Amino acid sequence: MKIFFATDIHGSEVCWRKFLNSAAFYKADMVILGGDVTGKVMVPIVEQGGRWKVTVRGQEYTLETAEELDNIKKQIRNAGSYPAVVSPDELKHLSQEEGAVDRRFTVEMTESLDRWLDMADGKLRGGEIPCILNGGNDDIWEIDDIIEQSPCVSFAEGKLLDLDGFSLVSMGWTNPTPWDTFREAPEPELAAKIEALASQVPDMSRAIFNFHAPPYGTGLDEAPALDSTLRPIHGGAVMKPVGSKAVRDAIMQHQPMLSVHGHIHESRAVKKMGRTLAMNPGSVYGDGVLQGAVIDLNAKKGKVQRYLLVNG
Amino acid sequence: MATEAVGGEAPTLFLRKATGLVRGWSVRDSLIYACLATNFVTLGIYEFTFAGPAFPKGQLLTSVVISGIWVSFLVIAYAGLIVTIPRAGGDYVWQTRILGSGIGFVMAATGWWFILWLWAPIYGNILSVQFFQPIWATLKWTWPGGGYAWFGTNNGIFIVTVITIVLAGFLVSLGMGGYARIQKWCFIGGLIGFAVVVGLLLFNSHASFISSFNYEAQHMFGVKNAYAATNQAAVKAGYTTSPFGFGPLGPTMLLVPAMMFFILWPNWGATLYGEIRGASDFRRVFSGMFIGLWITVILTVIFFLLIAKTVGWGFYQNLNSLDYNATPQFGIWPYPFLFAGWLVHNTAFQVILLLVLSLWFFGWVGTLFLSSTRVIFAAAFDRVLPDRAAEVSEKRKVPFYSLVLMLVPAVILGAIYAYSTTFRTYTLDATLVIAVTYLFSAIAVVLLPFIKKDLWRASPASRIKLFGVPIVPVAGWITIALLVYNLVEWLWNDNYFVNSHDSLLYMAAMYVLAIVIFVVARIVRRRQGIDLGLINKEIPVE
Repeated sequence: MKIFFATDIHGSEVCWRKFLNSAAFYKADMVILGGDVTGKVMVPIVEQGGRWKVTVRGQEYTLETAEELDNIKKQIRNAGSYPAVVSPDELKHLSQEEGAVDRRFTVEMTESLDRWLDMADGKLRGGEIPCILNGGNDDIWEIDDIIEQSPCVSFAEGKLLDLDGFSLVSMGWTNPTPWDTFREAPEPELAAKIEALASQVPDMSRAIFNFHAPPYGTGLDEAPALDSTLRPIHGGAVMKPVGSKAVRDAIMQHQPMLSVHGHIHESRAVKKMGRTLAMNPGSVYGDGVLQGAVIDLNAKKGKVQRYLLVNG
Repeated sequence: MATEAVGGEAPTLFLRKATGLVRGWSVRDSLIYACLATNFVTLGIYEFTFAGPAFPKGQLLTSVVISGIWVSFLVIAYAGLIVTIPRAGGDYVWQTRILGSGIGFVMAATGWWFILWLWAPIYGNILSVQFFQPIWATLKWTWPGGGYAWFGTNNGIFIVTVITIVLAGFLVSLGMGGYARIQKWCFIGGLIGFAVVVGLLLFNSHASFISSFNYEAQHMFGVKNAYAATNQAAVKAGYTTSPFGFGPLGPTMLLVPAMMFFILWPNWGATLYGEIRGASDFRRVFSGMFIGLWITVILTVIFFLLIAKTVGWGFYQNLNSLDYNATPQFGIWPYPFLFAGWLVHNTAFQVILLLVLSLWFFGWVGTLFLSSTRVIFAAAFDRVLPDRAAEVSEKRKVPFYSLVLMLVPAVILGAIYAYSTTFRTYTLDATLVIAVTYLFSAIAVVLLPFIKKDLWRASPASRIKLFGVPIVPVAGWITIALLVYNLVEWLWNDNYFVNSHDSLLYMAAMYVLAIVIFVVARIVRRRQGIDLGLINKEIPVE
């Protein structure tokens, strides 16, 4: 069985489209997206007098036609941001009223995800190609129900899924970050969540851990070291491990066949941990490139036959 | 969820609080790395010993300024690549993504891996002539046999090369965090040492230098009236120096390829930039490298002016010419800072000054292997190299196998360098091969807007314009011109000692080795059912 695994596309529409095409492109039997589906940036497009004004990547544009507006929206979405068309009064309201931006972010994120799932229906032949999604620490809770209700995508968060004889357990939670995001928990709590999932696995030699947080100190979790003001030290060249010790301990204890991770975009790496092949394909969603891993599983022997990290 | 509005009263974007949103990093750190990479002391002064006598009609001062201006365009081109594809692995990543996997691997393997084996003995020789020899001579130590002169013997060069390799390997094993701290303090200490030299040369007259030089030369080496003797020896050997000045331009331009030995590396840290928000900030990336480069140029100009004022330009060139002709005065490499220290007749002061100035070396030596390990890791993750090449030891986090791939061949080449004087003349090969790698990155910059249109359009680099023209591709063209000019001179002008039959064979062997590794990797992986051609193939969007 051939799996394509990608992660952390953070709202990039071009990466989502590529993800939907990845099964056909890599001749994969199944595609898995390992969390952090939603974006981090919203770009206001201010409508006034039949024209629109927007600043994209530092450059100000005045848009005269609906076609120009569509083009700029596409550009913004491809970069992983949400275009939000607003009136000058709405913009003022957003910037002044407590919680207004949060509410608008939620609207944009959920609407965007709805649209993405509609696209998936066509591309994945109505569910014929299995597509699995789970949350990441940056994903708001509202996305869970939306994915759960999709007819062509399986929501894997906190579940054991059977994939033609292989067991997939998924978790989008991570150890605490400096940003205090949605799905974070202290290590002991994380260990308990993992144990609850792992205990359901019938045969670890045919198990796949799909945990958003990478295992601590394995090279899959190297992020730029930050000072107390969240400023990277030495231009981001000084790296330090920031992964989860609970995830590392669980892998070492249970020794699943494969363990796939994300969360730390710059830490594209593969590591053999005892019997387990652990990998983080990383993410460069901002470039519109979909990094991922093409993984061949040997159903008979219950092992990873071969793998390749790709920059699609 | 907490959010941040960017753009004042009328925000142009809103950021929600999410992983990885960090503040911009300080330019100071990358500036230090760039300045130590274009190391005016270890590489610059070392190169002037060769360049001045090889091109006696050229002017070092003018050539350094011209080189600085020209290399500034390379800084713009590389800043463009860094902000467009901010990835650890630098040239390897950019070239594989823009030009293709094969070209990217061959250029990165030769320019960031194989050729650095040759840099190891060069670093070792610099440690020998700027640290061991002057300190041994000053303290008049006679152990090992022959005292300071032993470090110039074949055995001495080899042992110091091994010390250098071990030191560089140790600094890599410390990781960037530990090394960055060492680098920072070495840079500060090195600048203090240089400031002392500036003070000595500024506040002492030419006459007092001659008198001090003669006194210490007799005291240390037993040579009488050494200043005049040096000038006479150079004249006798047929060397005629040009007076200190700015031209003529023609012979001065011939010095530019020689200056690349130290000034071509402000982008040396480019392989280390990860995917962080600050790496997308063109101004910050550019400033770090640019300021680092121009600190080097300014320090060099100050050095030349003070040499001309106090030491005497003709004398400095004569000293260098004797070393160039393998008859060094006192049997020692003419280290200008050793002679500057002689202005104070106190052995303790002289030794302390040499130790403080050696920080320019110790802050720099880690750059020897640091970037190479990143490139080896990137190639291993692409399955071009065996997976083991990217393994890091569990306990100490040491990239054991990638270090072995650097250290073992470096020791072997160190031995050949130490015991073959012919091989030592290949020093400028070390610059040439990296310049070829840079050339392909410059070509990638020029082709980027055409090959990766969306990536270019989305890049902050595409918005840096002058009179409506994007600066980065233009800088790419100017960088190509710089590198092609240098390559033509290196390959066709005998004075650089690059175009000999053996030297060309040595370089060709490296390219063949890289091609063989890539082809073998393709074949082996194909047999394993892995198509390496898929690595950078873009998935269709529609």
